[in-house]
Amino acid sequence: MALLEVHGLTRHFGGVSAVSDLSFSVNEGEILGLIGPNGAGKTTVFNLVTGFIRPLAGAIRLDGQSVVGLRPHAVARRGIARTFQIVKPFPGLSALENVTLAAFLRHPARRDAEAAATAQLTRVGLGGRLNEIASRLTLMDQKRLEMAKALATRPRLLLLDEPMGGLNATEVDDASDLVRQIRASGVTVVLVEHVMKAIMRISDRVVVMNQGEKIAEGHPKRVVEEPAVLAAYFGKRVA
Amino acid sequence: MKRRHLPALLGVAVLIAIPLSIRNSFFLHVCILILMWTVLGAAWNVLGGFAGQVSFGHAALFAVGAYTTIILYLKGGLAPWWGIPLGGLAAALVSVPIGLLCFRLRGPYFALATLAVAEIVKLVALNWESVTAGSVGYLITTLPSVRLFGLSVNWEAKTPFYAAAVALAVVALLTTGWLRNSRLGAYLVAIRENEDAAEAVGIDTVRAKVVTLALSAFLAGMGGGFYAFYFRYVDPDAVAGIGLSMEMVFIAVVGGLGTVGGPLIGAVFLTAVAELVRDRFQMGHLIFYGLFMMLVIRFMPEGIWGRVRRLTAGATAGA
Amino acid sequence: METFAQSLVSGVLTGALYAMIGIGLTVVFGVMRIINLAHGEMVMLGMFGAFWGQKLWKLDPFVSLLVWTPLMFVAGVLLYRLLLRKIIPGGELNTLLYTAGLSLLVANLALLAWTGDYRTISLSYGVTVRPFGIAIAVPLAIAFVLAILITVTLGLFLSRTNLGRAIRATSQNPEASVLMGIDVERVAMVTFGLGTALAGAAGVLLAPSLYLYPTVGELLIVKCFVIVVLGGLGSVPGAIAGGILLGVVESLGAVYVSGAYKDGIGFVLFLAVLLYRPSGLFGAGR
Repeated sequence: MALLEVHGLTRHFGGVSAVSDLSFSVNEGEILGLIGPNGAGKTTVFNLVTGFIRPLAGAIRLDGQSVVGLRPHAVARRGIARTFQIVKPFPGLSALENVTLAAFLRHPARRDAEAAATAQLTRVGLGGRLNEIASRLTLMDQKRLEMAKALATRPRLLLLDEPMGGLNATEVDDASDLVRQIRASGVTVVLVEHVMKAIMRISDRVVVMNQGEKIAEGHPKRVVEEPAVLAAYFGKRVA
Repeated sequence: MKRRHLPALLGVAVLIAIPLSIRNSFFLHVCILILMWTVLGAAWNVLGGFAGQVSFGHAALFAVGAYTTIILYLKGGLAPWWGIPLGGLAAALVSVPIGLLCFRLRGPYFALATLAVAEIVKLVALNWESVTAGSVGYLITTLPSVRLFGLSVNWEAKTPFYAAAVALAVVALLTTGWLRNSRLGAYLVAIRENEDAAEAVGIDTVRAKVVTLALSAFLAGMGGGFYAFYFRYVDPDAVAGIGLSMEMVFIAVVGGLGTVGGPLIGAVFLTAVAELVRDRFQMGHLIFYGLFMMLVIRFMPEGIWGRVRRLTAGATAGA
Repeated sequence: METFAQSLVSGVLTGALYAMIGIGLTVVFGVMRIINLAHGEMVMLGMFGAFWGQKLWKLDPFVSLLVWTPLMFVAGVLLYRLLLRKIIPGGELNTLLYTAGLSLLVANLALLAWTGDYRTISLSYGVTVRPFGIAIAVPLAIAFVLAILITVTLGLFLSRTNLGRAIRATSQNPEASVLMGIDVERVAMVTFGLGTALAGAAGVLLAPSLYLYPTVGELLIVKCFVIVVLGGLGSVPGAIAGGILLGVVESLGAVYVSGAYKDGIGFVLFLAVLLYRPSGLFGAGR
């Protein structure tokens, strides 16, 4: 059954169309890869789903209930969490304080929130850096922090925006394992990623976007052989 | 008794001892000013220091408090201890629609919007003569004769005002102290650090900011109400000018943004500069406000209190 | 109808000078993303420059433009090099507070030096002419023409010279201009100098038409914000349109709305635009 349904989603900026008439759904418990060349509109989709930008047309439903028009915090409360492609920590606060702020959403008492935050930080591998100031963490650790923050809001659906960008091969493997483990804990995942190796390995399904439109959808291995996808990635000549 | 409460208790003891031991009314006047400015600095600091929302229009909230209090007294005969909190309440009420409008903007845009709001409030105060008495303003000629605990209050002495100022300053500092340790306080810090990230983890940033502005307005409005009774005179230039807004900014910045004790330090500093300079040349104190604000932002952006706290924390850690 | 035409004309004349002040603020914002709260004081200094030039050296205010504009440029460059450069990396709110401090400092130093008296500049040609029955003050008309000349020159500088193009590029995309090898530091310095010079020049031009007093900057900076917000922060054509719009709205407002609330119209317009079209009346929308 579909956890998230997106239907006819449309948004343009000025005259430039960022997302047009996009429809897809995410099934409960799956890892969906959202891929496409630069400027395809993937991040815009995340911004639309999480309420950072309002769509001009279209429907977004979580578990059958519309989330269109909700502000981001209300979307988070409904159970959709996200990370940012360019990480957005609270730079002057410690890792623990960062995640505690997110954990407050489900644990109003500070003590409970801190316990939940510590658990999430340990889960992403930052258990030993609880008191490190966020801006002093390495990029890899900031990406982990970003994920711990999102997880601390106890989402049903997690939107990861390039969690592996800028990481080396070992780090990519670690991050892939983490994403699979998050799914195993019952969280549905949508992943925007350029690291194709990781996408192919961990996605159950992929949706391919180009210039704001969906051009293909299906099993990762089969989708990359479709002519439209090849054309989008390598130019028309190859197709 | 916990050790961290010691400085606060000591402070209260000193505050009580001052009027008992020193009969110099000028000295008491200076103490009253310091306490009043502490309230106003703390009011600004709640919003500007904790939440990082710089307002250049806080005089508007002060003015709403001052006018409410003085009008309630002159037209309704309401005593100061009712009028001042009601002045705070009125400012808080006015601040909610202002917040809902202006918080749609961020950073410098928000600051500009508050500047415009303050100018509009000042224009209203100047022109809505049936309520505000326009540019003439209101004057209190006699204060109510009252008996408290069997003693009649002598308004000509500074002592009753001093007691009221102490009460207001304690309320302001306790509020700030509570805020620092509360969940709302944590949300405000998150908003200051990164507003998008705060929304993304489920923080209703607009609500947090509006609530904080109302709190800030309540304190500023009570400060305005106190001002009305202490100086017995309210007109648009005195209570709604941009200079007053800037003085609140100054206190919070110099004392230490987002600290609890900062406004007290800032207020001591501001009052000292004003009293030392005012007699020598007119408006000279504003030169020093400007200069000190620039120096503090350049050389210790955490403010005097912030710097002292960091240094003492470093010393304790090193020991 | 005649009153309408009259207000329209005087609105446009004043508006062109407002526009000049607005351009100064807006180019600085465009390149450095800072709002200079001391911008009004730079205008004030220009006004007093014109006043003292006439009083001490019998210099015609409009001729003194040739002295004060380059001087204000240098002052702006120094201000940037010596003071602001260290503050800007601390974030936009620090810069805002810092320039607020600067504004207090400059305005009150001026108050100390020149007292709070209202002064005026009288000119031998300070008469009013009436072409087509519309009254036009000659000094304001001269100021208008010079303001247009200066604005056109600035426009040519921004579009035709390498430095000007670098300024526009930085304004549009600071990251990319670093990659393109533009010396952002130098661009920022020149831009701040230009912004200050424009403010000073506008002050000189306005001096014969307004009352001069040290805290006039307070009033002007607020008008200036209205202008740049109307036109969209960072946009030069927007500042021109915003300046003229504000001039016209104020002068029509003075006739058709109660004079007391004249200044209020600008603020209400300002808030409305900030809230509903933060990128300005003429911007592309969010």
